[in-house]
Formats: sequence, C-alpha cells, structure tokens
Amino acid sequence: MSVIKVNELTKTFDKKDVVKALNFELNPGKCVALLGPNGAGKTTTLRMLSGLLNPSRGSVTFEGMKENGDIREHIGYLPQYPVFHNWMSGKEFLIYVGQLANLPKKQASDQANSLLKRVGIADAGNRRIGKYSGGMKQRLGIAQAMIHKPNLIILDEPVSSLDPIGRREVLNLMEELKEQTTILFSTHILSDAEEVSDDLLLMHQGEIVESGSIESLRTKHQTAKINLTFGDSNDNYLSSLKSIPSVNESLIERNEIQLLVDDIDQARKDILLKVSQENLPLTKFEISRTSLEDLFMKVVKN
Amino acid sequence: MQWKTIFVKEMLEDWRNFKWIWVPLVFILIAIMDPLTTYYMPKILDAVGGLPDGTVFEIPDVSPVAAMMMSLSEMSMFGVVVIVAITMGVIAGERRSGVAELVLVKPVSYLTYITSKWAEKLVLVWISFIIGMFASWYYVNLLFGEISFSAFLQVLFFYGLWLSLVVTITIFFNTLFKVPGLVLFVTIATIIMMSIINQVFSHVLIWFPNNMSSHIGGMLDGNHVSGDLWGTAFVTIEVIILLIIASLFSFRGKEMAN
Repeated sequence: MSVIKVNELTKTFDKKDVVKALNFELNPGKCVALLGPNGAGKTTTLRMLSGLLNPSRGSVTFEGMKENGDIREHIGYLPQYPVFHNWMSGKEFLIYVGQLANLPKKQASDQANSLLKRVGIADAGNRRIGKYSGGMKQRLGIAQAMIHKPNLIILDEPVSSLDPIGRREVLNLMEELKEQTTILFSTHILSDAEEVSDDLLLMHQGEIVESGSIESLRTKHQTAKINLTFGDSNDNYLSSLKSIPSVNESLIERNEIQLLVDDIDQARKDILLKVSQENLPLTKFEISRTSLEDLFMKVVKN
Repeated sequence: MQWKTIFVKEMLEDWRNFKWIWVPLVFILIAIMDPLTTYYMPKILDAVGGLPDGTVFEIPDVSPVAAMMMSLSEMSMFGVVVIVAITMGVIAGERRSGVAELVLVKPVSYLTYITSKWAEKLVLVWISFIIGMFASWYYVNLLFGEISFSAFLQVLFFYGLWLSLVVTITIFFNTLFKVPGLVLFVTIATIIMMSIINQVFSHVLIWFPNNMSSHIGGMLDGNHVSGDLWGTAFVTIEVIILLIIASLFSFRGKEMAN
C-alpha cells in the first residue's frame, strides 16, 4: 500500500510542459529523494503534491483520502525559502499553524513544545522568529511541517541554503524523522540524497528519468570504466580511442579520458594494443566502476 | 475554530505593530481637526497678526450639524486613505512574502482565510472610527451646539457602513493583486471613480453608496431617517456581500505558489 500515488502529473506554464506526465508511488516509512539539477521541475512537482499549484493534467491521491477530500490534511510541507511571521515567537507560530491544522489549542501547544525540543531549538522557542538564524528557521520549518502528524512530509531543498554545520544538523534530523513518517525531499546534491534517502527519483527536464532504491540503482548502473591520462592534451587521443570497437562511450572528465566498456578484458587488450601501435604517451591507466555520480552527470549533460 | 485562530492572530499582529494605538489616535485627529480649526479661526488669525484694519471678514455661524458633517467630510478623505493603507497588505503582503505558502498549505478554507482577516480589520476600523467620532461629538456639543445622542448613533451606524465598504473593496483587490502598493493605488482609484460617478449621476443613482454622507446630512437636518438613507445602507450591504463572494472566487482561481 502506498502513501501517495501520482498519476500522469503534468504542469504547463506558457504552453511549455515544465513537469511531464509523472507516475510514481511512495511507500510508507521510506525517505525518498527527488534528485535533479536546477530547473528540472522539482519544486513545481512538490508544490503540486502539496496543493499549492493545480496540476494541468493528472492526479495526486493519498491513502485513505475521501473523494474530493483535502489533500492538505495529509501532508506537511516545507518550502525552499520558508517565510514566517517575524513578529511571532517560534512557539507562537507553531501553535498558530497547529490550530490551523485543526488541533485544539492545548494539544497544539503541547505538540509545539515537543517539536521545538525535537528539532533542537527549545531554548529559542520564546524568541522572535526575526532573530533566528537560517539553520534555526529551517528547523522551525520542519517543525511546522510536522505539527499535525501528517502521513507525508514534503521538504523542498531542505539543506541547500545552509552552511556545513546547519546542513549536517538538518540531515541528522531527517535521519531521525524517517523512523516515524514518510519523507519526500528534493535536492540537487547527490551526496545528500545518498546519505539519508532509501529511494531515489532522478528528475531531468520535467521527467523522471530513473527511479528505484539507491542500492538497486547503484548495481544497475555499475558498468566498467577505464580511466586514461596522457602526457599532453587528452583531446588529441580521444578520437583514435573512440574508434576501438569494444569501447561503448567516451568522455573527458577532469583531465581524464573515461571509456565505458562491457567486456573489460577485451577492452584492456584493445586499448593497450592501440597505445603501443601508435606509440601514444600514456601516463595513467586505471580500471574502475561508474558511480551514481556518473549516472547523475550523464543524465544532466544529455 | 480556524476562523477564530486567524482572527486572533490578526488582532495580535495589529497590537504588536501598534495599529491599535495609532489608528484610533489618527481617527481622533481626523475627526476633530476641521470643527476645531473652524471654531478657533478668529483667534488663530489674531494670533498670527490679525487682519489689516478695516477688513470686514464675517465668519459665518456654523451649525452643529454642519460641524459634524465637517468631521465626516475629513473622514471621507483622510479616513479612507488610512483604512486602505492599513488593509492593503493583509492578504497581498502574506502572499508576496511567502507566509501564505505556509499558512495555506494547512487545511484552511479560503473563505475562512479571507473573512477572518476582513472581520478583524472591520473591528479595528469601527472602533477607531467610533472613538474618533466621539471626540468630534464632544467638541461639537461643547463649541457649536447640541446633537442628540441618538442622532449621533445613527451617524455612526450609517457612516460606518460606508467605511466597511472601503475595507471590503481593499480586501477584494488584495485577492486580485499581490503587491500591496498596487492594491492601495487601485483601491483609491476605484473610490475616486465611484465618487465621480456619484457626482455625475447622483440624481439617478440615489442609493449609490457614495451618497451616504449627503443622506446622513439630510437625516441630521430633518431629524429622521429617510427611506433613501435606508436604501443606500441596503445597497452598501449588498455590495459588501457581493464583493466578499467575488473575493472568494478571485482567490480560488489563484495558485498560492505563484
């Protein structure tokens, strides 16, 4: 049983499809990263899931939601740049949004206290939000998303705007939260996704190009790779290496020629033969495997 | 429940940014300015050097009714500007800053969101207006002559309706635009247009809301509430209700994250 089901979700701005017919489901208790470069349509997707934007086509359904029900009851949402009422204290704001989510005042207040403690800003609870630092605001943002114990928490770039310390703290917090609820968060940084998420949705130009658990993606896209470096400019040799039949793909990355191959033994033989025949000034020869990083870069560059 | 939550939050906000202090004070100023300067004009002229010898300058006797109407006339200028200024950002400002994204992602109905904010501003405007007019009534009775308390209450009620319409127009434009300055401009422009229409067609559009103060003048002179005053009040209330409904539809068509 999935928490949320997205069917042919599409958003069109000015006749351009920013999000193109997405289909996916999220399973309960998972932490899912929506990974993609800037402009891939991540924020638009999350805003449609949270009801802030209306889909141009397609639908979003929640588990246990009545016909014509309000999807907002089932989700907590943290925008990329959360803005609060700066004249309120953190605790007042949590109680305010708690009551807006239909909690009685007493319960909203208890919940606010426990969340302030949970996200680690209990000391600042009675201070004005205007005086909070970026990291504290982000934590308050996560707390307000959780106030009504939603089935799904949607976080839009929760760590992108933070300094290294704030980023570490929020990632740890997400690690704790995923014990209790389903989390969907967007990021353009692969290492953040790898660190806390179970599943990955890789998005590019409005489409989900790859999805699955981190482990399965890692295995699936693990192809052999040969890295070569030459004494002078690598560009001069790329074309002759490309012509080797056992080389599937070639690219230059960080002063290195990378060749993707299927049969590593055959490729090694072919390449070394070519190097000795043409007397190429090879300085480094290395066999490795592609990582998720390579997959991400490949998707983004195409 | 949610309605009360937003209403109370708006009250608290206006308290913390001192609107509950300065708006009543400004309304007192607006209400008493004209009657007082009129009464003390001869003394003011003397104090600043007086008129040249031989100038014959008759200061007409001002009736209590005319003095009270002076207060209303100032209200219709400065009072309206103040009302639009304090209301221009209630929704537009929250959408522009992005707070609306956090608030409206909670299961709050748009009707609740709009009407609770509208009601809070009405309370602020009515209380400030009543305090201001009490000051005016006090000075009018002291300096110009008596206006009965019941007539005064009628002035409050009918003119308060007109000011409520001003609040409602501002709220309506709040749902259309998300720049508070633009809300201010369009609302003032609309009210000026209405006033022009009123002046040109006042003989046909007898119950037009802008006619309220002239009917109130008639009521104070004739000492009874005319059918036309009731009619104008009725039309004003109708327009307020229609504008609230229109606000709801205009807001529904908006996407909060744009």
